[in-house]
Amino acid sequence: MQLTYLEAIRQGIWEEMERDPSVFCLGEDIGIYGGAFKVTDGFIDRFGAERVIDTPIAESAIVGAAFGASLTGMRPVAEFQFMDFIGCAFNQISNMVAKTHYLWGAPAPLVLRGPSGGYVHGGPFHSQNPEMWFVHNPGLKVICPATPYDAKGLIKAAIRDNNPCIFFEHKYLYRRIKGEVPTDDYVVPIGKANLVREGSDLSIITYAAMVHTALEAAEVLKKDGIDIEILDLRTVSPLDREAIVQTVKKTNKVIILHEHSRTGGLAGEIAAIINEEAFEELDGPILRIAGLDSAVPFSPPQEEHHLPQVGDVVREARRLKTY
Amino acid sequence: MAMKNKLASKHSANGDRSQNAASGTKNREAESRNRGVRTYTIPDYRLEHPDLSIKQHIEKDDDGAEHMRYEVSGNLDAPVPPIRDSKFLDKKQCVEIYRWMLLNRKMEVALENLYKQGKVVGGVYFGLGQEACSCASAYALDKDDWFAPMIRNQGALLVRGFRASDTMMQYMAKADSPTHGRDGTSHFGDIEKRNMVSPISMLGDLIPVLSGVALGARLQGRNIAALTWIGDGGQSTGVTYEGINFAAVQNLGLVLVVESNLWAYSTPSEMQYRVKDLAERAIGYGIPGVIVDGTDACQVYDATRDAVERARRGEGPTMIEAKMMRMKGHAIHDAAAYVPKPMFDFWKKRDPIVRFENYLIKDKKWLTAKENQELILEVERVIEAEREIAVNSPMPTPESAEGGVYCENGCHEIKPKYGMPKVRTGKGAFKQTEAAVHLK
Repeated sequence: MQLTYLEAIRQGIWEEMERDPSVFCLGEDIGIYGGAFKVTDGFIDRFGAERVIDTPIAESAIVGAAFGASLTGMRPVAEFQFMDFIGCAFNQISNMVAKTHYLWGAPAPLVLRGPSGGYVHGGPFHSQNPEMWFVHNPGLKVICPATPYDAKGLIKAAIRDNNPCIFFEHKYLYRRIKGEVPTDDYVVPIGKANLVREGSDLSIITYAAMVHTALEAAEVLKKDGIDIEILDLRTVSPLDREAIVQTVKKTNKVIILHEHSRTGGLAGEIAAIINEEAFEELDGPILRIAGLDSAVPFSPPQEEHHLPQVGDVVREARRLKTY
Repeated sequence: MAMKNKLASKHSANGDRSQNAASGTKNREAESRNRGVRTYTIPDYRLEHPDLSIKQHIEKDDDGAEHMRYEVSGNLDAPVPPIRDSKFLDKKQCVEIYRWMLLNRKMEVALENLYKQGKVVGGVYFGLGQEACSCASAYALDKDDWFAPMIRNQGALLVRGFRASDTMMQYMAKADSPTHGRDGTSHFGDIEKRNMVSPISMLGDLIPVLSGVALGARLQGRNIAALTWIGDGGQSTGVTYEGINFAAVQNLGLVLVVESNLWAYSTPSEMQYRVKDLAERAIGYGIPGVIVDGTDACQVYDATRDAVERARRGEGPTMIEAKMMRMKGHAIHDAAAYVPKPMFDFWKKRDPIVRFENYLIKDKKWLTAKENQELILEVERVIEAEREIAVNSPMPTPESAEGGVYCENGCHEIKPKYGMPKVRTGKGAFKQTEAAVHLK
C-alpha cells in the first residue's frame, strides 16, 4: 500500500492503540481537531476521549503527566504541536524522564512526538530541529525517520520500547513523500541505520529530510561520474556506530549532512566516532554540511540560504571527490 | 452565611459564586453596589491564626556599617492552642502517628550525628518542626495510593514502609541504598510495592507527574489518591501551575499539601507570593483549598483523609495548606541566621511532637508517662539498629557507576499495574485523510 509519510505514522499509532490497551494519546488539539497536522484524525471517534486527551497548553504538564502515567504501566504517546515547543518541557524531559531508569530503576515507556524541520517558511519557532538537546541527554532515544516505511515501523517500535523515545517527524515530508508500506504488522529496529543508496566514491551520512536532498544530489553527481553512498541514520541516538564505520571503510570519504545548525551538531559527534573507530580508513577530511548558526529565518530567500540545499551537497561532494 | 458555607464546604468546590448580598441586607443601594461580587470559601481549621510578619530592616553596627536584617512583628506571645480531636483517628492510630513522628525526628538526629562524624556525603536536610505534616498526611493513604516526598518529608518514607537505614544509606551514598549510590537524600522511589515516585531537585515537577499517576490509574479503572507536597517556595515555579491546573481540568485525584514553612532557603514567604494564604490559590485553579495547622497531627490527618477520599470518589484534586515553620536552616550547613530569633521561639512552643505528646498523655490519657518513655526508648533502639546497618554497609564499586541508562534486555516487564484498561471497541476502521494543513 502506498502511504504518505504522515499517513504511515498515523496508521502506526492507530495500530498500536488497537493492539495494546495501555497505549493512549495526549496533546494539544489532538482530539476533535485530529491534531494540527491531522496525525490523530479520527482517533477520538474510534478510541474515545479517555484515550485521546486534549490537554491545556502546558508542555511541562503534558510530559510530566505522561511520565506519571507510564509509571503505572501505561504507554502514553504525547504530541507536541510543533517540536519547537519541546523547550517548554525541557526540565521534565532532561531531569525527570531521562534520568529515571539510571537513578532509581523506574522505566519510562513514553513517546514524545511531533513535527520538526524547515523548508516550509515556518519561521524560527515552527522550523526547528531540536534533536541535539536530547541526543546529548543519556537515557533518551531520539528517532528521525525519512521514509513512510521507516516512519511507521519506528513509531511502532518506539511505542513498544520501554525507554523514553523522542520521535521527530519532518513536517516537509509529511505529505510530500509517499512510499510502499506493508499492511502486516512490522517494526523497524531503533538504533539501526539503513543504506538507502549503495555507492563507491563517497558516503553521505544523513537523516530525515536531508536523505531526500542527498538522493537528489546523488542523481546530479551520477552525471559527473561520482557514485554516492547514502546512509540514513534513522535513529540519531543511539547511533549505529557499526553502520557508520562500515560505510567509511567502503568509500573512505565522508560527508555528514544535517539540517540543524553546524556548531554542536551531530556531525561533530559522528566525526569523532569516525576518528575513534575508522581513522585509518579515511582518504580525506570529514566534511559537514549543516544549517547556519542562527535561528531559522522566515523570509524564503533567507531560509533557503540558511538551510542545506541540493546545490550544497553537490558542491561539497565534488570537492571531496577531488581531494 | 458563614455556617451554611462551612457545612457545604465538605463537597463544594471553591468558586461558589454566591452573591455577597445574599446575607440579607435590605438596603437597595447596598444591593446594587454588591451585585456582581463573588465570594469564595476557604475553610481554615486552625485554632489560632498567627499574625507574624517579616520586614526588612537596616541596622548599623558599631563601625557604622549597614546590615540588612529581617524583623518580625505580631503577637509572639500568643498561647499555644490545644490539639482538637480528629474526626477519624482512634487511640491506636494516634499512638502510631506519634511513633512515626518520633522515628522521623530521631532518624534526623541520627543523620545529623552521622554528618558530624564525617560519614555523610554532601549535606543533610531536615524536616524539624514538620513531622506532623509528613507523617500524619502519609498515614491517610491506602496501600494502593501513590505518594512522592519532597526533601523534608522523610517521615513519610517511614510511614509508607521504607526503613530508616534506607534514608541513611542514601545520605552515606552506600551500595545498598535504594538507588545503589546513584542519588542521595530522599531521591528514590518504588513503583512496585510502596508506590513512591522519586523526587528530583527541581521543585514542582512532581505535581504533573503525580497527576499523571492518577491519570494512568483512572485509565485502568481505578480512582486513587496521589499525594505530594510542595513548599511555599517551591510552589512559585511554572510547572507547579501547569501540574495543578492539569489535575484540576482533568479531575484527577491529586492531593497537594502545600507546606507553608515560611522560609524558602533564606527567602521569607513575604517575598515569595502576594496572596495572604496559599490555599487561596485553589480558587484560581477551581479546586477546594483548606488551611490546617501543620503542627497539629490531627488536623493534618483529617484534611488529608478528606482529600484522599475525594480523590478515590473521583471528585478531583485538593489543595491543603499546612502552616508551620522550618525549624532549621535550608540544610545542615545553613544556620538560618537570617531568621529572627523570636520566630524560632514562637514555633518551638508549637513543636508537633511535643504537642501530640501532651495530647496523648495529658488530654486523652491514651499514654502514661511510663508508656511514653518506653515508646521513646523503643524508637531510639530501632534507629540505633538501623544506623548500625547503614554504617556497616559497603560503599559502591567504581564500576557500579555504569549501566542502567536504558531499560533493555528484558530488565523490566511493563504492564498496567491495576489491570488492563477496558477499552471501547468503537466502529470506524482506519481511513486515510488528505486534510489541509496550515503550513504549506
